[in-house]
Amino acid sequence: MFILIEMKMKKRIIITLVFLIGTGALLYGFLYKEARDVSNEASAFTVTAKKLSDEYLANTVHADAKYLNKTIDLNGVVTDVKDSLVIINHKVVCGFDTAIGNPGINKNITIKGRCIGFDELFGEVKLDQCTIK
Amino acid sequence: MKTRFLEFILCMVFILVSACFYGQKYSTRTGNLKFEASMSSFEEVAAENKTASAVLESSKGDLAVLALMKGFRFKVALMEEHFNENYVESDKYPKASFKGKIEGFDASKLSTDAKSFTVTGELTLHGKTKKVTDVAKISKAGDTITIIGGFDVKPGDFDIEIPKLVSKKVSEKIAVTYNLILSK
Repeated sequence: MFILIEMKMKKRIIITLVFLIGTGALLYGFLYKEARDVSNEASAFTVTAKKLSDEYLANTVHADAKYLNKTIDLNGVVTDVKDSLVIINHKVVCGFDTAIGNPGINKNITIKGRCIGFDELFGEVKLDQCTIK
Repeated sequence: MKTRFLEFILCMVFILVSACFYGQKYSTRTGNLKFEASMSSFEEVAAENKTASAVLESSKGDLAVLALMKGFRFKVALMEEHFNENYVESDKYPKASFKGKIEGFDASKLSTDAKSFTVTGELTLHGKTKKVTDVAKISKAGDTITIIGGFDVKPGDFDIEIPKLVSKKVSEKIAVTYNLILSK
């Protein structure tokens, strides 16, 4: 009789524990979900640097609605390399999280990155979390 | 009539030429901006933007800074998501900008020892503009001018509402710091 009650208790404790651990794990997974990995995302657009820049110059609001926060494959010619930035066609600035080697000025290149908007001070479109494809 | 036109053209040329000669511009695309709104004994609420743009007109001491909101990175992904979607609404307001003046600025008197200058100007973010004033440390080495400083802002000043549920975890006073290394 006593053993039976104990078994029931044990079962209850185990169920409660499993339930608690389960919700805990779910909550943790939600609170500390993995950061976005732009380099492994499928890109939403493939554009040339010139086209992206032209669209932003024509209408920043429209271009933001289309490209902002999206992963983009960008084609163009490297015109400058500064610190962790690669500048494409003088018009698009690509920021890298990790140090980059010299990709070579005047070289044709495809860069994958996230569009973060238009920089009016320099008149350039900015991408971050870039990788060279 | 013709002389008027000529005068006008001459005037424009003169302005352009003088702008070329006197308008010494120092700039950066990799300005560093940080903000922190942490409360003690709660999780760190802080973000960093390493790609802020800044332009300094050294003849007049005019300073313009622009930061794209999506460029602010948090350690915790969910925090970054909430920041963008619920607080600053970066889809609607993609940038923050500062336009101001460094009082009594004279590039020729700068040295490698940082001097203090008062910077006043207008900070625009989340579609709202507010006047900010702070003291910046400015130094110069070769063709590089470094401006370091910070100021406090309140989310309420920019129409950013912190929900009651998290108000204990997010400070009412947000400390913003900047480090701009500008070159010619």
